[in-house]
Amino acid sequence: MMHRRPWWKTVLGVVLTALMLFPVYWMLNVSFTQTGNLRSSPPHLLPLEPTLEGYRAALAQQLPNLGTSLLIGLGCVAMTLVIAAPAAYAMALLHLRGRGTLNFLLLVAQMLPAVVMAMGFYAIYVRMGLLNTVWGLILADSTIAVPFGVLLLAAFMAGLPRELMQASRIDGAGAWTAFTSIVLPLSRNSLITVSLFAFLWAWSDFIFASTLARNSALIPVTLGIYNYIGNNTTQWNAIMATAVIASVPAAFLLIAAQRYVAAGVTAGAVKD
Amino acid sequence: MTTDVADRDDVAHRADRVRTRRRGGLETTQWVALAFAAPLLVYLLGFYVYPLLRSVDLSVHDYTVRAFVQGDAEFVGLSNYREVISSPLFGKAIMNTVVFVGGSLIFQYAIGLALAVFFRSSFRLSGVLRALFLVPWLLPLIVSGSVWAWMMNSESGVVNFLLGIVGVDPINWLTSPDTAMLAVVIANIWLGIPFNLVILYSGLQNIPEDLYEAASLDGAGSGKQFWSITFPLLRPVTAITLLLGLVYTLKVVDIIWVMTTGGPADASTTLAIWSYREAFGTGRPDMSPAAAVGNILIVIALLCGLLYTYVQRRQEES
Amino acid sequence: MITRRMFVTVGTAGAAALAAGGLAACTDAGSQGSADTFTWWDPYPQHDENSDWAQRVQAAGEAAGVTIERTAYDTTALTNQALLAAQEGTSPDIILLDNPAVPTLADTGMLSTTEELGLDISHIDENLLSAGQIDGSTYGIPVGANTLALFYNLEILEEAGVDPESITDWASLDAALEAISGIDRRGITFAGINTEEGSFQFLPWFWGAGAELTDLASEEAVSALELWKSWVDKGYAPNTVITNSQNTTWEEFLTGEYGFGENGTWQVNSAAEAPFEAGVIELPARDGGVAPAPTGGEFIVAPVQSDPDRYETTRTIIEAMTTTEGFVETAMTFAYYVPPTAEGQEQLLEEEPELETWVSAVQSAKGRTGDNLGVDYATISEQLWTAVQNALSGAAEPADALETAQAAAVEALGS
Repeated sequence: MMHRRPWWKTVLGVVLTALMLFPVYWMLNVSFTQTGNLRSSPPHLLPLEPTLEGYRAALAQQLPNLGTSLLIGLGCVAMTLVIAAPAAYAMALLHLRGRGTLNFLLLVAQMLPAVVMAMGFYAIYVRMGLLNTVWGLILADSTIAVPFGVLLLAAFMAGLPRELMQASRIDGAGAWTAFTSIVLPLSRNSLITVSLFAFLWAWSDFIFASTLARNSALIPVTLGIYNYIGNNTTQWNAIMATAVIASVPAAFLLIAAQRYVAAGVTAGAVKD
Repeated sequence: MTTDVADRDDVAHRADRVRTRRRGGLETTQWVALAFAAPLLVYLLGFYVYPLLRSVDLSVHDYTVRAFVQGDAEFVGLSNYREVISSPLFGKAIMNTVVFVGGSLIFQYAIGLALAVFFRSSFRLSGVLRALFLVPWLLPLIVSGSVWAWMMNSESGVVNFLLGIVGVDPINWLTSPDTAMLAVVIANIWLGIPFNLVILYSGLQNIPEDLYEAASLDGAGSGKQFWSITFPLLRPVTAITLLLGLVYTLKVVDIIWVMTTGGPADASTTLAIWSYREAFGTGRPDMSPAAAVGNILIVIALLCGLLYTYVQRRQEES
Repeated sequence: MITRRMFVTVGTAGAAALAAGGLAACTDAGSQGSADTFTWWDPYPQHDENSDWAQRVQAAGEAAGVTIERTAYDTTALTNQALLAAQEGTSPDIILLDNPAVPTLADTGMLSTTEELGLDISHIDENLLSAGQIDGSTYGIPVGANTLALFYNLEILEEAGVDPESITDWASLDAALEAISGIDRRGITFAGINTEEGSFQFLPWFWGAGAELTDLASEEAVSALELWKSWVDKGYAPNTVITNSQNTTWEEFLTGEYGFGENGTWQVNSAAEAPFEAGVIELPARDGGVAPAPTGGEFIVAPVQSDPDRYETTRTIIEAMTTTEGFVETAMTFAYYVPPTAEGQEQLLEEEPELETWVSAVQSAKGRTGDNLGVDYATISEQLWTAVQNALSGAAEPADALETAQAAAVEALGS
């Protein structure tokens, strides 16, 4: 077994990543730029007259919002897994009748534009008193990830070895025990993948937050950004500074989780 | 070894039959399955069916702003749909949607696949770099949209600046009807690469290394290996990636809205943008035509979904 | 052992989890105000709870004996949220609403008139009040108005030999732009984006030529659009005007490369801090005089409530916000909303005499939804900015673009 670790791949990898992240670099650039220099032509590749006013504003005002975004992200992950994992188990391993139709319905569920969903939710939320609550927002944000999560987990669980499942049944384990002690641990990688998607989608959501949680005591950072968007004026360096600050912890989370995302996504989809 | 498994199978099947015979109606396992799926079913009903019904309701009534508030809209049947389809913007919006979705998908997939193959064998820093590729996802769309809008600014944008260095004339990316669509497609491709990369990379991980080793022992170069091993074995993953990509791209509003608001002269107005603009883009919210366009969008996505299911079933049968 | 009990248990657990969440959330405050809490929506998210504005709002509430729960939306979302809330019967008690949106909301029947509330509007300037009037009824009080004017970069103008005071009509402005382009600088920048901001910035030229919003294809209208197009074609204005918002326009002006920038009262402080010396003149009409510019600024409106006893307090709060001192304080908070009354304007000029040009501009300004255009304005405006986009981007000739716009507007309004 030859493990080639050519250094040129690392170099090329760094170049490609740098290209891909160039807009992110630009975001960083703007966060340090004074308003008067934002539109200078030719553009400054480096912030030549840097200012920290954007960061000062962001650090002073956005940290609680960052905490809220984190809370919503994690809550959304929990919510998504709680709903998606058992359903995927039912579809893939308990042979739920009508799972083909359910599969299709889950696809259809993802076709609804976010605006349609948000307006529909508003009516529901008003009646259930969920408007302007963090819990309500977690619920709404989970609708982004749940159908995808079910599809992914079901695909993976369907590929689990049959013998393990049947062996456990002989031993008298109920479906629930099989689920918790066998299936879930084996699905760890795809669970982490679904968590990643759910977190990222909830983290960057704006439309649900805007329609359903404007007046909440705790608002996510995507809404907090609007502190800097006045009626006719916008403070771009503060907005970008907020985005940078918000991205840093999440980027570390990504790097940590990436290792698990690798092998778990589509074990079931590739049938050899 | 095999006999043990067969024996166990037999016992399992007999046990199942015994259990089933003891209850009437639904098999017991079906009840359990239903129990596990119940949260999802309740969830789907409440959170997807209801908004969909509202959207249909909006589209078959005439919801003027007044009617929207008062709740007394007139039922007009399919006339909103007729109006929308016969509008001069319809053909253009469909065309723009096809270009936007087609262009985005092809390049997102191709670039995502190329990157996935590149990252397949791990090298120094490959894990970190792969994770960094997901950073675009962390950014709120208003931020990514604005950054692209700046980079493509005709006067002060860095893209024109870099083009100028290699001697290309500045292009009016966002302000010319000829290039506006190209500009938003480029930005959307950038946004879609992480998704494709993650899924395709995982798909690649499931192709056994031995196949490649056998092939290279037989003297096959990496190009041949790709087309005879990688690509065919990735087909189911490709199908789901493209389908999901299609569904997500059809819905895209934010990036186009922030960059061009659908202009200039409707050059970058897709069906999704048209729907959004009718409802929220003007001082007079026109909910009913917006819902009609939105529902047409859902129907298109539905047809693609049906096509996918049909193709998948054909594949499973063969 | 798999039993039916399992199904019931797991199924109920799932549903119960969702319901419990709902119940738990019920304990949070709803959006409907209680007897002692009045809800207030405004489009100033940049003024958070610790700002002077928020504290003033609270003070107005306390003076009326209630607590005010304030939510700040971005202005584009506020109208739709108000509509959603009205639909559900959960309208807030007070909204500060962008003036062109007032007729839209009023038309749905969700706003009270000033008569119903018992408010005295006799001191308010007519030209500012008309934006919120339909068929003789007034639906709110303007808290102040801002408008557009022409900022100039004194250093560039001096270098080009242009005297800002000499710019009194379009011909002199064109000459100035030519002179500026002669010294290799940019002439002017403005916002031509295809949203309401684009119409807003185009209207001074439109009205300044003598055109009316009821006829978009008149000869005067065409001449205004041809003026803008000529600037883009000759390079006096940058190509980016097609996607410029007013904020972007100001950012361009601040680079110091532009002789003129069309922008509003809200940039007065920024202009004072610019790295170059900046001044301001009123926008010229085609054949001389001041061009009527559209008014920005919010109206304070009171949505209809199911409990009529609330109106008493609502009126007290509104009156507290709309005294002369109140207007001047608002003016200073929002740098600068010109007060809508003669006394208010006088008092403002005492405190800030440099605002004279702006006060004068506001006195000549027009509400976009005035002249009984009301709800129709939104439809006409959409066609107007579309025509501007089409002409500036080269997709159509100005005359054709406006013809199409007028036809589309007539059709949309007729239905």
